[in-house]
Amino acid sequence: MERAEREKAAGLSFPEEVASRLGGETIKLCYQCGTCASSCPVAKITPNFNPRELIKLSLLGERDEVISGDAIWLCCSCYNCQERCPQKVEIAEVIYALRNIAFEEGRIPPIYSEFASALLRDGRIIKVSKFVEKKRSTLGLPPLKPTGVEALTRILSATGFNKLYERRERK
Amino acid sequence: MENVKVGVFLSDCGGQLPKILDFDAIMGYVKGIPGVVLVERSSEFWRGEGIKKILDAVKRGKVNRVVVAESVPKLGEINIAQAVEEAGLNPYLVEVVDLKNGCAWPHRETPREATEKAKAMLLAAVERVKLLEPIEKIEFPVLQSALVIGGGIAGMQAAMDLAELGFEVYLIEKEPFLGGIAARAGTFFPTDDCAICIQSSTSDVKTVTPTSRKCVYRSGISEVPNLKILTNAKVVKVEGVPGNYRVTVEKRPRYVDESKCVGCNLCIEACPVEVPDDYNAGLKTRKAVYINVPNVYPPVPVIDEDACKFHECARCVEVCPSDAINLDQKAELVSLNVGSIIVAVGFREFNPSVIKEYHYDDYPDVITHLELARMIDGFGPTGGMILRPSDRKPAKKIVMIQCVGSRDRRYNPYCSSICCMISLKHAILIKEAHPEIDVTICYIDIRTTGREHEKYYERARELGVKFVKGRPTEVFMDPETKRLIVDVEDALLNRFLELEADLVVLASAFVPAEDAGEIAEILGLELGEDGFFKEYNAKLRPTETKVKGVFICGGAVFPKDAPTSSLHAHSAAIKAAKFLLNGKIVKDQRTAVVKEEYCGDCEFCPVICPYNAISLVQTGNGHFVARVSELLCEGCGVCVGTCPLNAIELKNWRQDQMLTQIRALLSVKASKPLVLAICCSECGHAAVDSSGMAMLQYPASVRVMKVPCTGIIQVQHFLEAFKAGAQGVMVVGCKSDGCHYEVGSQIAGRKVELAKILLKEYGVEPERLEMLNVVYIEGARFAEAARRMVERLEKMGPLRLIESV
Repeated sequence: MERAEREKAAGLSFPEEVASRLGGETIKLCYQCGTCASSCPVAKITPNFNPRELIKLSLLGERDEVISGDAIWLCCSCYNCQERCPQKVEIAEVIYALRNIAFEEGRIPPIYSEFASALLRDGRIIKVSKFVEKKRSTLGLPPLKPTGVEALTRILSATGFNKLYERRERK
Repeated sequence: MENVKVGVFLSDCGGQLPKILDFDAIMGYVKGIPGVVLVERSSEFWRGEGIKKILDAVKRGKVNRVVVAESVPKLGEINIAQAVEEAGLNPYLVEVVDLKNGCAWPHRETPREATEKAKAMLLAAVERVKLLEPIEKIEFPVLQSALVIGGGIAGMQAAMDLAELGFEVYLIEKEPFLGGIAARAGTFFPTDDCAICIQSSTSDVKTVTPTSRKCVYRSGISEVPNLKILTNAKVVKVEGVPGNYRVTVEKRPRYVDESKCVGCNLCIEACPVEVPDDYNAGLKTRKAVYINVPNVYPPVPVIDEDACKFHECARCVEVCPSDAINLDQKAELVSLNVGSIIVAVGFREFNPSVIKEYHYDDYPDVITHLELARMIDGFGPTGGMILRPSDRKPAKKIVMIQCVGSRDRRYNPYCSSICCMISLKHAILIKEAHPEIDVTICYIDIRTTGREHEKYYERARELGVKFVKGRPTEVFMDPETKRLIVDVEDALLNRFLELEADLVVLASAFVPAEDAGEIAEILGLELGEDGFFKEYNAKLRPTETKVKGVFICGGAVFPKDAPTSSLHAHSAAIKAAKFLLNGKIVKDQRTAVVKEEYCGDCEFCPVICPYNAISLVQTGNGHFVARVSELLCEGCGVCVGTCPLNAIELKNWRQDQMLTQIRALLSVKASKPLVLAICCSECGHAAVDSSGMAMLQYPASVRVMKVPCTGIIQVQHFLEAFKAGAQGVMVVGCKSDGCHYEVGSQIAGRKVELAKILLKEYGVEPERLEMLNVVYIEGARFAEAARRMVERLEKMGPLRLIESV
């Protein structure tokens, strides 16, 4: 049984589930002042993402809405919110914790899943195209060296990433 | 040694106890205890005919030690102690045991076992009383004078109260003028009167009715008999003991003689030096010789040392008609002898510069509420006009930001408690005077918890003040228009707003006075985590401190509005007056005593003593030994429990006295495994008491011994208890943060943990030892723990001790 399922089975409330995870520890400190929302460059261009709302929904236990929605994947990790949060809520980290829960349940948007397969295959999340290689030489940059995929694969399998990813592929 | 004659007086609680306990057997047993010369039985002994019997026996010299078994132990102890003292017996030669709540009721289901326990309790009481020593009282003188540190609203009120009660009072203020932070605030909520308005002295009978309030400068505070005001002064040293402090005050030069100045202000006119006026938030300039505002006390200018050119210029000296200016004045040290000290150093506004996103340092039109207050004040630098400091044009749009540096775990996690009201007050004052000004308040929560406070919120809405629920992320300046823009999310609308503003007002947190730490150190006071002075007990002793005779009040304790500061000041004054009133401290010498021949060169007890009552003194041969202050020692025994050499003892809680009691309690056997429960006299024993009162049942093999504080317990007490037949030991103390002697129960807890390791080494199951932290209402927890301890011991089987232990 995956951790997210175990936690669900153990009857942990959603805020507790998030708080028990690496990065999610500070979620309960939030008092909804909205500093994060007004700090957020993403929230200003799309109504689909608002860190304050995301935390509020999580604290209210709206697990499905949070985990199955797109919002958690829209954070651009600029950490502006986290820098300015007066309650020291590690908002970006909380969002990572939420993403981890979603990922364990096999919910991951295609773009992230492409990143993952590229990472497992090439050791990079973005494929190095011919265009990129050419551009580098015109800029006088040395050609990219091959990455140590084997070592990376070992790390990823030690962390269980492989298994999770494969499991998700099957779904 | 005198011949010890113990009288035992057994109350049967109106015939209730014999229904459970076999009184005849108990009386027979007690009569057989060596030293017991008299055993009496009555329905009660703590008052009426019962107490007369005790007194009679004492007066006629039949007994010189008294054991009373009473069912109202606390009242009994007080009444009996007072009565026997009047009868000529030292009250410390009395021992009271509670056979009802401590024995009959919690063991009513096992009456035979209860009877055996009652015998053990009485035997322990008799053996203990035989070893008790008389304890005398000592008197310490208390000077009839007080020092009040801080001339703000709290300090002024407290000083006047004490002076009018007849004590000699010194009020010292570090600034050149009285008033404190309050004086800068313009007006107050919820009274809407001036900030410099205080209760006038009631000694000014000609003009002042008891309801009268007056401005500080005409309140007559300077004319109150017995009250001496020192401004521009600070405390640099405090020596001595409660009731008799020697205080050294440094009085910095004013350069203007208060006794000669006539207040003509010619010096100010003549002074050629102009500097920004800090008091008025730099919104105007002032001269090097200046007065803050026209209506302050003392109404005497002061010379700013950093700005004045002194003898190079000396124009003020030339124009002064009364020869009041002395440019050669030096700082002087003033020595004061006072019995009591009140700390009223107030609070200050947090400097919001550190919150870079609000650009307080970068944009002149971002200001704080204290700065805005100066503009709203008619006497202020703008004459009541609300201007943009950058160009001095009237502000048309004002945005206020709440919780700047407060409720912020990066700076001050607490709510400063008055900023919401200050914002509402200022918004109302601005709207009433200038309805055309647009005022918006960005808030997280609006808190208006005081009486009449919610009306300010209502009034603000009525006047059209706008409220945005959201804490702005940033204040930035539009690069083209140069106007300030406040970037905020309105959470109720789910909308991002960019509010234009001529003036942004930060409701900055209130933080401890700059010199709070220094003063705390000088006086030996504690500060809380928030940096404010820590009260002895927030619920019951909010203006007292751990140091006797030193009191705290007003904003020094936490940010407060004016009414609460006044209340607090009056409370501190009455506490100080109560302390001073008798002219002496009368104290039972129930103190720790050092056996100097064993004591040497360690620092455990001076460091651990919660009352700083122990100091190290050098003896003739170069060694250091501990010395206990008879005045400061509270008799908790924490030092005893800490001393590695058994070199310190608490009177009447000596080792032999405690061990005798332990052995006696365990000498009368029980059918279940014997347990010794050592409880503190405070919450621990109260919980044991309450379990009995509620008739909660636990085995009678649990024998209870009361000590002043669990901090006195030593590991050897556990070992001795096991040796004397205990199968288990419980330590019952206060909650670790609720110990009546600060640290006792924490120390006991650590000792229990260490002892468990030791027991394991001896081959003894550590589960035979347990610490329980309780409060009075947790009698059920005690009873449950006691039951479980006995069950556990029954399963474990008898304790096997190696002979050498």
